[in-house]
Amino acid sequence: MTEKISFTINGEYRSVEIDEEMMVIDVIRDVLDLTGTKRGCDNATCGTCVIVMNGKAVKSCNTPASKMQGANILTIEGLAKGMELHPIQKAIAESGAVQCGFCTPGIVMELHALLESKPDASETELSNALNKHLCRCTGYEPIRDGALIAQQLIRERMTEKA
Amino acid sequence: MAYKYLGKSYIRPDAINKVTGKAVFLDDIRLPGMLHAAILRPKYAHARILSIDTSEAEKCPGVVKVVTGKGCTYRYGDNIRDLVPMAIDKVRHIGEPVAAVIADTPRHAYAALDKIKVEYDPLPVYIDARQAMSEDAVLIHEELGEYWHLPTLNPKPGTNIANVYHLKKGRGEEGFEEADVIIEGEFNYPFGSCAALEPHGSIVWFKEDRTIEIWSSSICPFIIRDDIAHSYGVPVSDVRVHIPDIGGCFGYKSDITVEQTIAWIASFVPGRPVKWVASRKEDITSTLLAHGIRTVMKIGAKRDGKLVALKTTVYHSGGAYSDTAVNVTIAATHNSTGPYEFEHCDLTGYTVYTNTPPVGAFRGYGHPEPQFATERMMDMLARKLNMDPFELRRKNYLREGSTNSLGERMWKSNGDMQACAERVQQIVFGKPKEKQEDDQFYYGRGFAALMKSPKGAPFSTKGCYMKMNIDGSVSVNMGGAEVGQGLRTVVRQIAAEALKIPPEKVRCYNEIDTQFSPYEWQTIGSMFTMQGGRAIVRAAEKLIQGLKKTAAQVLRTDEDYLEYDGEYVYLRSDPSIRVPVTQLARGYITDNGITIGDLAQSVADARLPRYSNPDQNGQGNLGVTYTFGAQAAEIRIEKKTGRIYVDHFASVFDVGQVINPIQIRGTVLGGVLMGLGAALYEEVKFDEEGRILNPHYFQYHIPTYKEAPQQTIEFIETPDPIGAFGARGIGEHPVIGVPPAILNAIYDAIGVDFYEIPVTPEKIKQALEARTEKEYA
Ligand code: FES
Ligand code: FES
Repeated sequence: MTEKISFTINGEYRSVEIDEEMMVIDVIRDVLDLTGTKRGCDNATCGTCVIVMNGKAVKSCNTPASKMQGANILTIEGLAKGMELHPIQKAIAESGAVQCGFCTPGIVMELHALLESKPDASETELSNALNKHLCRCTGYEPIRDGALIAQQLIRERMTEKA
Repeated sequence: MAYKYLGKSYIRPDAINKVTGKAVFLDDIRLPGMLHAAILRPKYAHARILSIDTSEAEKCPGVVKVVTGKGCTYRYGDNIRDLVPMAIDKVRHIGEPVAAVIADTPRHAYAALDKIKVEYDPLPVYIDARQAMSEDAVLIHEELGEYWHLPTLNPKPGTNIANVYHLKKGRGEEGFEEADVIIEGEFNYPFGSCAALEPHGSIVWFKEDRTIEIWSSSICPFIIRDDIAHSYGVPVSDVRVHIPDIGGCFGYKSDITVEQTIAWIASFVPGRPVKWVASRKEDITSTLLAHGIRTVMKIGAKRDGKLVALKTTVYHSGGAYSDTAVNVTIAATHNSTGPYEFEHCDLTGYTVYTNTPPVGAFRGYGHPEPQFATERMMDMLARKLNMDPFELRRKNYLREGSTNSLGERMWKSNGDMQACAERVQQIVFGKPKEKQEDDQFYYGRGFAALMKSPKGAPFSTKGCYMKMNIDGSVSVNMGGAEVGQGLRTVVRQIAAEALKIPPEKVRCYNEIDTQFSPYEWQTIGSMFTMQGGRAIVRAAEKLIQGLKKTAAQVLRTDEDYLEYDGEYVYLRSDPSIRVPVTQLARGYITDNGITIGDLAQSVADARLPRYSNPDQNGQGNLGVTYTFGAQAAEIRIEKKTGRIYVDHFASVFDVGQVINPIQIRGTVLGGVLMGLGAALYEEVKFDEEGRILNPHYFQYHIPTYKEAPQQTIEFIETPDPIGAFGARGIGEHPVIGVPPAILNAIYDAIGVDFYEIPVTPEKIKQALEARTEKEYA
């Protein structure tokens, strides 16, 4: 059974045909060719596939594609404004949090959902969010450092605006 | 030594691509007309295949072809040619490919897999090396005697022993006659998985022009190229292998693994590229496993603590195909001394065929497993001798003038083991322990020393190609695989230093293409910074020499009367007489357009100098270079749950020269956490039938954010004579000392010796209960 759904992704309005057994990750990667979102496991444990849907971090590998109907979706490709990186991308790139980079898009999106809605998130909130992601390379410390720098940059951006 | 661009933290050249989602990994590649494969795995871990019926599967929607191993006449492998791309008449492990479906989409391919019917005649299953070595064991490879193998290997046809390696130093076992005290122990480092976040995958395309094009998440493109060319009888130059970004390796993407299977499948649909990407379950159950090493160790010492003799027997459960395990066993055997000198050694390593997926490289390559034994034994020996364990170790460290098991003499320039140990001792043991226990916890501290050499090979060279562009920027190509370890950053900094130009003017990309990239054996053994770095320095010297040659004609002087500073080539006596490199890069163009000199480009390579095969005693220049280090853990054991918390972990390595501080810290942070996973959580478990019980991340637990300890990481810099600017290998080393340090800390906390990992809360609780029973008995 196919079904037609429409949604906004990275600021663009899109309409696509989906099969009913499709997950959000299949639409993003295989229909829309947005390959920045990664698949690292078979049963929603690793966090590499996390995207932001209606402001919340969700695992795209176990969210049915039909949930995309009418949604506002953000993937890793939608963060940078032209050549200008999002503060989270900048912080994560500079803190040493990137080694192989396979876990990176999911982590960046997780932090985006948290910090854009809650720039004052506590360390516990940060660590609860990051604890949902596996990274085999970095030992996590540089990811924490990057998250803290990102939080700082986002706060600064807010005071500038105010 | 003060360098301009070394010892400073530059951002990775691939960082931006990775944070914007633009880095292209294997599964992100889409080719015109690409088909997808799904692979059928057997019901049994060891069985004869009686029949395969593919007729139903062939009728499924989207199916283009169903493939079996029937008709396959070749075997492959670089050490022992025992591998087949797909089971022919027999399956030997639970992850072995039995058949495959090629379809228009992965979904269609997987749907049709269920329709393939296979009849099996099951055979006995062996998981542990010693079961498979028993007299009456059924042979896993009846044809062992017919397999091609490296002349240095010693297989035992008619048994399940794929190789026996033996090393004798001094008087061998007779050396124990000189010992006052002897201790013995048996230690187990169970099966593990590298479990990189990106699963394995490959794309293979047999093209109509008879070339073969391959993409793979692998660190050995040149081995894949040579092997596939050999198997399909085409010139090596007609096979082209591309390596995209790789989402972590840690060992199991080395050697040729999944590529031959995908090539076999794709060979049935010439003209169409075929892609296969492992599910997480397949990544754990069908690619290379790790470890599976049991170490039986006996140490003899004088009463004053001087070590005299070591006997080690390594039983390596090598899996169903031993091509990838044999060298791990050899490394585990001769490195079982740890960083200590023994006058007499009798070391034996058995690589044994078993019915698990093939066992291969894991970060540390044969060093973590036996040194887990050595470092636990050093603490036990100290107790037996009633001696301070630091003092016992200090007496015996390899140092200037001592010889290791291989008979290699150690020089001052090999690094300072003792300095590493002393520094870690200061950091962790410098102050008295605050408490032994409180209401909730027991507290412990433990130490481990370590050493590692690369596992080289006679042809283990690394190439570098560089060209200077007309603006003086430099493009560098290397065949080394970037798996996340940051070697492109290292390339940039070393090239910058050698060429005296800022790192921003050096560009190198992650992708490898065997047609355009210089040759590299494979990117293993923590060798890239050393050997690859050396190739860069050599290429830079040649490039500078080329610039001088052209400039000599322009300035009408001798080449050796010229100096180079990154921007100009000038007269030694008068720097104002000079020519900018920007005017030399394409040769020098005179006013009337006549051009002199050559393009500013160069090629070089570097190998481990004087690396050799083992002699009849198992000795030789097999190590060549060593990195020493020391590590220590501070832990808490929760009384109620038996859970172990590692609160602080310290590591000090003598790395010769730090190239990039932020990056080297990252290497150690990640490596230590991997070692912590091995010590406390990770084990790939089998049932008696050879099925894997925990092939998913929620079952095979790798350390998470909240489990990461606070780490202190420092480096000592005794320059190495081989590595570029004195740098030594460090990639694998941080995992080695972690399990023994943690297990030594457990003993310190609760007085219980563990001989195998992982030490789970259940095991701690059992031990605590047994201890209480003993107290009341
Ligand atoms: S792919 Fe692993 S959580 Fe979604
Ligand atoms: S950087 Fe490799 S998994 Fe996180």
